[in-house]
Amino acid sequence: MKVYDGSQTESPEQSTPERIKVGIAEYKVTTEPAVLTTSGLGSCIGIAVYDTRNTVAGLVHVMLPSAADIDGGNHAKFADTGIEALIEAMADAGASMEAMEAKIAGGSDMLDFSENGSSIGSRNAKKVRETLDEHDVPVVGEDLGGDHGRSVKLEADTGNFIVKSANTDSITL
Amino acid sequence: MPDVLIADDSEFMRNLLREILEEDHEIVGEVENGVEAVEVFKEEGPDLVMMDIVMPIRDGIEATDEIKSSNPDANVIMCTSVGQEEKMKEAVKAGADGYITKPFQKPSVMEAIEDVVPS
Amino acid sequence: MNVDIQSLGTFNQLAHEGAEQATQSMGQMTGIDAVVDVTKITLLDRADVGEELAGRDFVGVQFSFDGVLEGDTVLAFDVDSAGTITEEMMPGSSDDEAMARSGIEEIGNIMMSGFIDGWADYVGATIDHSPPEYIEESGGDVLPDAPENGDHQQVFVFKSEIEWIDESVNFYIYMLPEYESLTEMMVEHVDTDGDAIPIDKLQTFNEMTTSGTQKAADNVEMMTGIPTESEVTQISFAPIEDVPKQIGTDTFVGTVVEFTGTPSGYLMVLFDEISAINVAEAMMPIEMDSDELTDQHKAAIEELGNIMTSGFVDGWANVLQTSVEHTPPRVVHDMGRAIMDPLAAQVGQHQEHAFIIDSEMQTDDIEFKAEIHALPDEKELRAALDDLDVERATETGADVEQIFK
Ligand SMILES: [Mg+2]
Repeated sequence: MKVYDGSQTESPEQSTPERIKVGIAEYKVTTEPAVLTTSGLGSCIGIAVYDTRNTVAGLVHVMLPSAADIDGGNHAKFADTGIEALIEAMADAGASMEAMEAKIAGGSDMLDFSENGSSIGSRNAKKVRETLDEHDVPVVGEDLGGDHGRSVKLEADTGNFIVKSANTDSITL
Repeated sequence: MPDVLIADDSEFMRNLLREILEEDHEIVGEVENGVEAVEVFKEEGPDLVMMDIVMPIRDGIEATDEIKSSNPDANVIMCTSVGQEEKMKEAVKAGADGYITKPFQKPSVMEAIEDVVPS
Repeated sequence: MNVDIQSLGTFNQLAHEGAEQATQSMGQMTGIDAVVDVTKITLLDRADVGEELAGRDFVGVQFSFDGVLEGDTVLAFDVDSAGTITEEMMPGSSDDEAMARSGIEEIGNIMMSGFIDGWADYVGATIDHSPPEYIEESGGDVLPDAPENGDHQQVFVFKSEIEWIDESVNFYIYMLPEYESLTEMMVEHVDTDGDAIPIDKLQTFNEMTTSGTQKAADNVEMMTGIPTESEVTQISFAPIEDVPKQIGTDTFVGTVVEFTGTPSGYLMVLFDEISAINVAEAMMPIEMDSDELTDQHKAAIEELGNIMTSGFVDGWANVLQTSVEHTPPRVVHDMGRAIMDPLAAQVGQHQEHAFIIDSEMQTDDIEFKAEIHALPDEKELRAALDDLDVERATETGADVEQIFK
């Protein structure tokens, strides 16, 4: 896991915030006013957690609901273990549990071929809510479901969470 | 000239077939799945069905099977993108009289119809 | 010759860690913060190796290696990023050609050691590499000739794509091992034999897919009148979370089906928006000349995708003497990666790695490019390979006349 603590930021006059890309089944935490991004969310969910009081923010891109359903694989692949790992890493980086808030996007039902039962997107969403609830992190904004993909950006210093879809204008949560 | 029922889930393909056929044939209906194909066949009793295979709800092989078992004199030509030998055998078993693979040219459609329903 | 999925996974992991080690070495020397985006193992025709680099100029450092594993490996930087790297290392050096060149060679040398060492440690033997050889070439020419492989034209290529976030420049590490030494090493390091796949048959399967792609391209040509060439066909192996990265973040239009039988999985036919409009209009009887994607365009794409899908999978079914069914096509118009994402997730419920079959076709006449990607279920693919009679591999066509006589 990488914690961006700014110790190697070369130029203090740098005006554009650093962009940190988060891949599928990855999470990143920053203590800088950086922008965390992840793209191509279909049934996957991007979970942004931030504590603006202490400027700690993190983003995880999860693919499947629960680590218990499959053996192996890294923690960040699953909603339950991914969120847990993110919250822990944020606490380690100085975030306060009480100040953390979450915003979530993704979990689309697009291309769900399962004839019966719920889509991976909706199962992901359910697990994400459950897990955040278990950790008492309130969900203060969400853009879930539908039948389209999304890309997201989290501004670490403001907690603004910008959601972009392929065929529509972006919205800020 | 035989009356024709067109069964294909693709709007594009239904248009294309209609354009090829409407000059010489009466089109009794255009349907987009196997269930509708059987229904309209029973209502309209066309001389010929141009039947797609891959369709939602009910595929063209099942529809052909039902049409042919209730009416052995019905004429059904499969008109499909599927070019698999096992599928063709299934089509024969269901009673299909001909098989056109997409993409097709107009002459091959005419030829297949002439073979199945000679004028 | 059977290789288990686990050991393919291990090898992919070795290449990935090697690339990470190499990238870290570079970071220490230059202060450049880069990350390894994706690492995959690809089986493809040797003539097609490096096709994805076409149209760009590269500075490369090439090495040959031998020992338990033999072959060549290349670090390929696009020209601009090579300049930036030497500049970061020694400010002012990018103007001094000899110095810049020596800098790149040395960076390459250090990175390559990082790349190879993990492999040697894993097999508990040494792998030596030659001194770096500096090259400047266009496109795939930056790569060495792929090794010969007996009767087959297929080779395994390990490819890591390294992304350097701030500069948005990519560079690549390619490893082209000798087929024999690689497969021997894979066979020796089989962990279990429960999930082994016959690796030689994978080549045959790939050849069948190449003819399926050709069939799909012929279908496009028949429906549109646009002469269409099938380009690359390859099978790659990667961790499931890297699967969506096989497709760009641009917006695509196309179709997706689920196919069932042996093999089973998902298949998508994708066009970039301009290609989609061009190809759809070529199918229509009336002139449209629109810049926007309309419902009529989508209806045409829906049926074209359907026909291309059949062309692509029919060959598998005919060779295997089975049937492969597919659902009616679902039309998609979305970010490429987001289209692949739910399919990868569905497959990922049962497996940690995936095989991805990729094909490409294009034409010189108008702006037109299509991609086909299949994501087979691992278990079904294994069954298909087990059932595959290599002697029948060319029997991809069906004889309608014979059956409807
Ligand atoms: Mg159809």
